[in-house]
Amino acid sequence: MSIEKDVVSRAIKGDGEAFAQLYRDYFDKIYRYVYLRCGNRAEAEDLTQEVFVKALEAIGSYRWRNLPFASWLFRIAHNHVIDQLRKQGKVERVELEDNIVVADEPNPALVAEERFEVEELRDKIKKLSPAQREVISLRFGAGFSTAEVSEALGKNTGTVKALQYNGIVALRKLMLGDSAQ
Amino acid sequence: MIPKIEDILDECLERRFGGESIDDCLAAYPEQASQLEPLVEAGWACRRNCAAIRPDAEFKARAEYELQAAFYANREEVARTVIIPIWRRGWAMAMAALLVVFVGGLGTAAASANAVPDEFLYPVKLAAEQVRVTLTWSDVDQARLHVEFAERRAYEMVEVAREGKADKVSMLADQVTRHLGEMCLRDRTEEAAEEGSKALAPMPAASGADAYSEGKGTEGLEAFLSQSRAESVQALADALAKAPEALKPIIARAMENVAEDYDRTIFIIQNTSGQ
Repeated sequence: MSIEKDVVSRAIKGDGEAFAQLYRDYFDKIYRYVYLRCGNRAEAEDLTQEVFVKALEAIGSYRWRNLPFASWLFRIAHNHVIDQLRKQGKVERVELEDNIVVADEPNPALVAEERFEVEELRDKIKKLSPAQREVISLRFGAGFSTAEVSEALGKNTGTVKALQYNGIVALRKLMLGDSAQ
Repeated sequence: MIPKIEDILDECLERRFGGESIDDCLAAYPEQASQLEPLVEAGWACRRNCAAIRPDAEFKARAEYELQAAFYANREEVARTVIIPIWRRGWAMAMAALLVVFVGGLGTAAASANAVPDEFLYPVKLAAEQVRVTLTWSDVDQARLHVEFAERRAYEMVEVAREGKADKVSMLADQVTRHLGEMCLRDRTEEAAEEGSKALAPMPAASGADAYSEGKGTEGLEAFLSQSRAESVQALADALAKAPEALKPIIARAMENVAEDYDRTIFIIQNTSGQ
């Protein structure tokens, strides 16, 4: 049994420390994915926490079923983000803190530059087609392999690779467009 | 056989992410190197920038603490916010009834917009939809409405799946099919004009609810939903090819939403059937 499978089995049986381990392993990845999909830091934090609450509620019914835990968790995240984005079609959420540099960071200038680059990337990813955006967010945001993206999205690997290729071509064009201006 | 460019790019990205230099990654593909290099660079830049996306450390720690506390306190009731739907409160039901009688139309329709099957205002929602169709004369606008209503049924399907109401899932899948059937009829405006009112008659009801109630269980429902998904997406794709320009973006969006909602519903059913 793999280490993760053992941790997941213990979490299913109600081992709080095992669930905490999964939380620590996946929180940042889920957060990056959610942030790239919703584009708002405060909202990404809330949604990420909600994803884990949903996972906690549902983990008792999780079976491996040929679906690795990471893919299962990301499907929960994906469904939750889609729900929220649809709801936001009616209610816009105000961006509160994206331009604020955290004061106690060791190098605020570096943080600001980093944040600017992240926001640039987020804005470009927003311009991709929904399917490309999904693949790019999982592949580069969550750090999934192509096979894992394929399992998480229920698409075959050929489709995922094609979406990745087209997504990167489109991103590159957007980057070149910016530098030409 | 020469591998496809997307396969080569994926391989090069994997190797680059694994720590190899870009020259090493491209060495095996000299003919494609000039095309691949900028793409591998772009993928690498994307990965590097994504790595800088980090949650606030304090928030992360607090969230972990809260989750742990909830885990130990009561797993069954973890962070489940109890919101009593307004239509389930006695006074609200009376108000809703008054609205039906005195206000009617838009007010009640708006109040019922988020209702799902088995909820008090759901029949009002369906009635309001029927009224909108009846009051719409243009075939294109009627097709637009049926696309919208098919999307709504697909979205409701996800909600009832979460509540474990398998019979309602199949019923709603039938309704998606029915609306798309209506949409296709109305999309063929020339044929509709020739055939008159006969062309506007509803499609025969699909058999999803029957299929489920005949005891096929969860697996039968999954199979039915998969088939229904394929048919719905195909119906929308066919409509997209023939639709007037004004309808095309609406149908394209619907294809995405409907397929997405089917996938979510199937996922929920697969993951709750063992409970």
